[in-house]
Amino acid sequence: MSLMGFALNALLQNERVNAASPADDPFARPEMEPKSYDLKPKSPHFEPRAKAMISLWMQGGPSHLDLFDPKPELQKMDGKDFEGDIKYDNAAEASSKLMASPWKFHKHGGCGMEISELLPGLGEVVDDITLIRSMHTGVNNHGQSIQAMQNGRILSGRPTVGSWLTYGLGCETENLPAYVALIDPGQLPVMGVENWTNGFLPSIYQGTVIRPQAPRILNLDPPPYLKGAAQTEALNYLEELNREHLARRAGYHDLEARIASYELAANMQLAAKEAVDFSTETQATLKMYGLENPETKEFGARCLIARRLIERGVRFAQIFTENQRWDHHGSIVSKLPTACKKVDVPSAALVKDLKQRGMLDSTIVHWGGEMGRLPVIENNSGPSRVGRDHNTYGFSMWVAGGGFKRGHVYGATDELGHKAVEDVVNHFDYHATLLHLFGLDAERFHYDSNNRSMSLLDNQGGRVIKGLLA
Amino acid sequence: MRSRLVFAAALSVCLAVPAVSQSDSSQPAETISFERDVRPILKKHCLHCHGEGDDIEGGLDLRLRKFILAGGESGPAIVAGNPDESPLIERTVAQDMPPGDVKLTSSEQEVLGRWVESGAKTLRPEPEAIPDGVYVPAEEREFWSFLPIQNPPIPEVSAKDRVRTPIDAFLLRRLEEQQLSFSPDADRRTFIRRATYDLTGLPPTPQQVQDFVADQSPDAVENLIDRLLESPQYGERWGRHWLDVVGYADSEGYTIDDPIRPHAYHYRDYVIRAMNDDMPYDRFIREQLAGDEMIGFPKKNLTADETEKLIATGFLRMVPDGTGKVSGEELPLAENQVIADTLHVVGSSLLGLTLSCAQCHNHRYDPIPQAEYFQIRAIFEPAYDWKNWRKPSARLVSLYTDEDRKVAAEIEAQAKQIDAEHKQRAEELIAETLEDQLVQHVPEALRDALRVAYQTPVAKRTKEQQDHLKKYPKILKISAGALYLYDRELRSKLAGLKKEQADKTAAAIAAAQKLALQSLADDVAKQVAAAIAVPREKRTKEQQDRLAEHAGLEVTASNLATFDPQAAAEVAQRQSVIDRTKERAPQLAAIANRAKALRATKPKEHFVQALTEVPGKVPETFVFARGDYHNPTDKVAPAALSVVMANNPAEIPLNDEALPTTGRRLAYANYLTNGRHPLLARVLVNRIWMHHFGTGIVATPSDFGRLGEPPSHPELLDWLATQFMESGWSLKTFHRLVMTSTAYRQALRVFPPDRTDPDNRLLSGMSLRRLEAETIRDSMLAISGKLNSKPFGPPVPVMADRVGQFVLGIENLNAGRPGALIDMKGEDLRRSVYAQVRRSRPLSLLDSFDAPRMDPNCEVRRTSTVAPQSLLLMNNEFVHDRSHDFARRLVTQAGADRSEQVKLAWELAYCQSPSDQQIASALDFMERETAVLANSPQAASLAKQDDTQTPAMLALSSFCQTLLSSNRFLYVD
Repeated sequence: MSLMGFALNALLQNERVNAASPADDPFARPEMEPKSYDLKPKSPHFEPRAKAMISLWMQGGPSHLDLFDPKPELQKMDGKDFEGDIKYDNAAEASSKLMASPWKFHKHGGCGMEISELLPGLGEVVDDITLIRSMHTGVNNHGQSIQAMQNGRILSGRPTVGSWLTYGLGCETENLPAYVALIDPGQLPVMGVENWTNGFLPSIYQGTVIRPQAPRILNLDPPPYLKGAAQTEALNYLEELNREHLARRAGYHDLEARIASYELAANMQLAAKEAVDFSTETQATLKMYGLENPETKEFGARCLIARRLIERGVRFAQIFTENQRWDHHGSIVSKLPTACKKVDVPSAALVKDLKQRGMLDSTIVHWGGEMGRLPVIENNSGPSRVGRDHNTYGFSMWVAGGGFKRGHVYGATDELGHKAVEDVVNHFDYHATLLHLFGLDAERFHYDSNNRSMSLLDNQGGRVIKGLLA
Repeated sequence: MRSRLVFAAALSVCLAVPAVSQSDSSQPAETISFERDVRPILKKHCLHCHGEGDDIEGGLDLRLRKFILAGGESGPAIVAGNPDESPLIERTVAQDMPPGDVKLTSSEQEVLGRWVESGAKTLRPEPEAIPDGVYVPAEEREFWSFLPIQNPPIPEVSAKDRVRTPIDAFLLRRLEEQQLSFSPDADRRTFIRRATYDLTGLPPTPQQVQDFVADQSPDAVENLIDRLLESPQYGERWGRHWLDVVGYADSEGYTIDDPIRPHAYHYRDYVIRAMNDDMPYDRFIREQLAGDEMIGFPKKNLTADETEKLIATGFLRMVPDGTGKVSGEELPLAENQVIADTLHVVGSSLLGLTLSCAQCHNHRYDPIPQAEYFQIRAIFEPAYDWKNWRKPSARLVSLYTDEDRKVAAEIEAQAKQIDAEHKQRAEELIAETLEDQLVQHVPEALRDALRVAYQTPVAKRTKEQQDHLKKYPKILKISAGALYLYDRELRSKLAGLKKEQADKTAAAIAAAQKLALQSLADDVAKQVAAAIAVPREKRTKEQQDRLAEHAGLEVTASNLATFDPQAAAEVAQRQSVIDRTKERAPQLAAIANRAKALRATKPKEHFVQALTEVPGKVPETFVFARGDYHNPTDKVAPAALSVVMANNPAEIPLNDEALPTTGRRLAYANYLTNGRHPLLARVLVNRIWMHHFGTGIVATPSDFGRLGEPPSHPELLDWLATQFMESGWSLKTFHRLVMTSTAYRQALRVFPPDRTDPDNRLLSGMSLRRLEAETIRDSMLAISGKLNSKPFGPPVPVMADRVGQFVLGIENLNAGRPGALIDMKGEDLRRSVYAQVRRSRPLSLLDSFDAPRMDPNCEVRRTSTVAPQSLLLMNNEFVHDRSHDFARRLVTQAGADRSEQVKLAWELAYCQSPSDQQIASALDFMERETAVLANSPQAASLAKQDDTQTPAMLALSSFCQTLLSSNRFLYVD
């Protein structure tokens, strides 16, 4: 259970990273007792650049060709046959005809980064981000590529990045979950709850879901009718019952501890309530996140909650778009702009806000999904109905803060935007780099499950991409 | 890298600090002896290289004092009386020795120093010579748990009136030594709650409580215990205890996909039945170790009894088994892990020894040489046969009879015919799709070439054909599996055809109608046309009459041919195109479904997850140097541990000619249960004791070795073990013995101000125990009146809910996303022992309250007290649902009177009747809560959806929830 751990932090103390194992050091830790795990803050292997992370998870495959990766050659070749090898996901709608982007790209900021007209908000913060144009997972369906990006391999059942980070580093607050998943009011994304699973790690490292409606955190919030005074009355009565019970059982410490644990539980409820309460935010902040605009309000609120949680010591927050929001097999001309409008302004606001609060240096922001899209047309049945099929051989995402470069473009795809060819960043390279920024050496960072040494990179040879680091 | 890890991990497990200090620094120096004080330190740190190994490092053997004095290549290791001139002392203090990171502690250094200083004495003369390797001196052989079980005399005590059974005498003897005594008997309500939870894992009903309180019979307690032992819930409760030590699980574990073991539950049911039937425990153990050999397996057409014995061997198939999923380098590692884990379970459940510590080296604390670990392994080797490994699926034993097999073969033959039909239809549908696609998307001039290119096998396509197809991916990608994607196009085509048909048919009818009416006068034609325009059932009497006058003039789709044969033919032509335009994937699916349905009529094939041997195969077992299977050294024969064989020699055959199998496990099982094994009965009765009192007489129930805790009452333990065996290894008899004792019938211990005996090891009162995870869940179901007591059968599945918590439910995923909830038909309300144990999916509710993870088994449960448990009790959906059920039950059974409701609630949740003060305080609470809820808009909106949820009713639920969250419910006195 995801809430299991964060109450164990009652004794806050700095511990060594959960990285030593009997393999390195068979005599270091005599253990007959089962190992115990907690969420106390832990020092990483070396001085970290990043202390927390917010990932904006764009499930479905945002079209890099129409958002991040302008391709003059593709514009010229519009309608011509694609000559190379290509992997189609949807056979019946496949075509070999190239499709130019219907949108214009403009240079932004001091760095002159080229971004599509669909993302004007992002245009305002390009000097603070690194745009990676050479992402690669190489598995062309959603489920597997999601797993590659989220848990390091194309397999299911492994712990997610957030789970690894909280296992390694714990949490800076005892009253909030270490790792939160802010889900969309729509359907869960592909792979559902696997997106925040602890896999084989202890269950205290599972992501805690913050729901879009009450109760916001199951098991932490009561159902609406009990919230507030009704639950307080019940807790008062419970304490009365427990005190009376204890009076005739003096000296049984466990009974006293259980009474005390309700106080701790109540603190956690208060902290969670406070974290999602915007009454202390200024009008300007609310406006910046797009809370006054119906199109951006919902996503903006989740971005703001994420910032507030990180501010209060949460280690890792991931914000999810709904199921296949970016999976534009058809009607890309109308659907892509809609998808962009929901997230563009709030995503940029998050970068601006973290920066103005001095938190961006130590907080990584990530924006991206599991794939990009093909340069060829899918569903060639009229301009309003065309789309693009999956592409995991080359796609884009952006990162900011926490030691990533600013105003930088890294890597490139081929001239038609099909495959990453220059400075390719595999999912495992990205993960090695993330761990590095958090002060963790991917080679030394592992967990023993059934006497098998398990790690995020899982011997795939991921390397820290120096070219991404500030 | 990975292969190295396994022994490294095993090593670390064995290096715990002894629970009992081996040296006390306050001891006077002259009492320090080699045997008692020094040798354990040397054994832990040094003997591995200096005496017990194949090579003796530096020629220095530290196994005997005289060898130490003689020394090695660098001369004597000590000079008696002079620590400063003793290299052994110097080098250990300087931490040159031992190599590696673990050094002697300062108290260990001190013991060595003082031993040398005081003259390096032994307790008695040392032997002249000892054989190479591990030498076990008398001190170690005579460790308490290796000595034969005694039948000690029952001690005399002063408080004779408190002695109901000899158990009480043994306990009182120790208490009286400390000027302590038993607490008074618990009151009847406390006792029945305790006894019922202990034996059934459920609370007693109010009626049962009343009956017991009112029972004037002198045998009231005995009768109660008999009744509880007869209830079917007894087996579920005590079966669960055994399943903990066994490490029962419904999944393979080891790899992250954690495949389900669909047949494991037969073993769970076997255990529960054995408990309910009070199967003698010796037989229970023999069946689990060697049920297959007992029935002379392999054989076909098993009887029910033979099947049960085969199922029993599931005991040896419960540990994680990743061998069905890993390959290459990882496979031998996974295979050896299965064997190692199984030996660990055997060691901890039956022997009470940390056998695994001798896997990589001689046991550092107990007299178990590494070679003996592998001799034990040899007992099990023929069944596992590492060199001819069988994956989990290959180890399943089918219960099909010859008759079943015959029927199934007949059905399969028919199904194969449908498969052939499927194949042929798939080819036809692919050809149709190809033609469709060619016509729709390819210029006519290119079609023939493209068709030929597609139909040419991939390997034989010319470069030109390949390039050609690449331009038309829609042609290239046609396959049976992709037909559903092409059906989308077909669906829109069909919609177009239908629309065209409707439009054109209507036009043809209209034209024919116009012609047909031309023979009539204009005004009549108009009236008839108007009547025809009105739908048949809505025509007025007048219109009907008008049409009757001019019968035969109305044109419809069905009679169009008589008016306009050509138009009708066109309609029919179009219709035939429509009729032929069928979605293709469903056609194939329909054929496949027919085959599937037919196959489903085969007799149901049940499987047993059993441990069996392959007749004729007798694998060899080798000692693995450092536990590494890459380094086999000496070949060993099967044998039991030598240290416990003094009065009970074991004969384990290499290959028993009288059996189809080797007979090794059968011989071992018979030896273990022959009544003379010093560990087995002690270990078993200690576990039972632990489940009654919270702590065992030996507090470490799976470690009766040197690192374990010594027994608090060694004579009692032996007396109990003797009684247990003499009663025919009857668990139920044993419960009666324990539960009728004064010790068990005491009230909760009241702690003295000085907290003497803080762990209550002397039992001067009952210990307070928290309900286990399963008991909490099961009790909530029972108290709320919702418990589904259906026993046995396949486990209730576990799934992730919408936020990723594991709950009972049938998984319904689409692309990994949770779909609609599937009705559980009350299965989700069954006892927790029937919930699926998927290692990777611990049920959140149980996990929070310390239900064990089976990796590989659970030797003793721990109870934690953490805030998430409180949050769960406050906010969890299951707890809320049960509280609502509980409240409804109160209204139904106690009526509208609030005081009566409170009384019943107290009886149900606590087995107590509330005092007037407690009733008043409950009523007060509900009044305040009702007032709060009456002003709550959220409560009002809930009431709108469900008008029974009035503020008063919600307040009653809240009251019920508070009882279920309170310590009086969560703990047993």
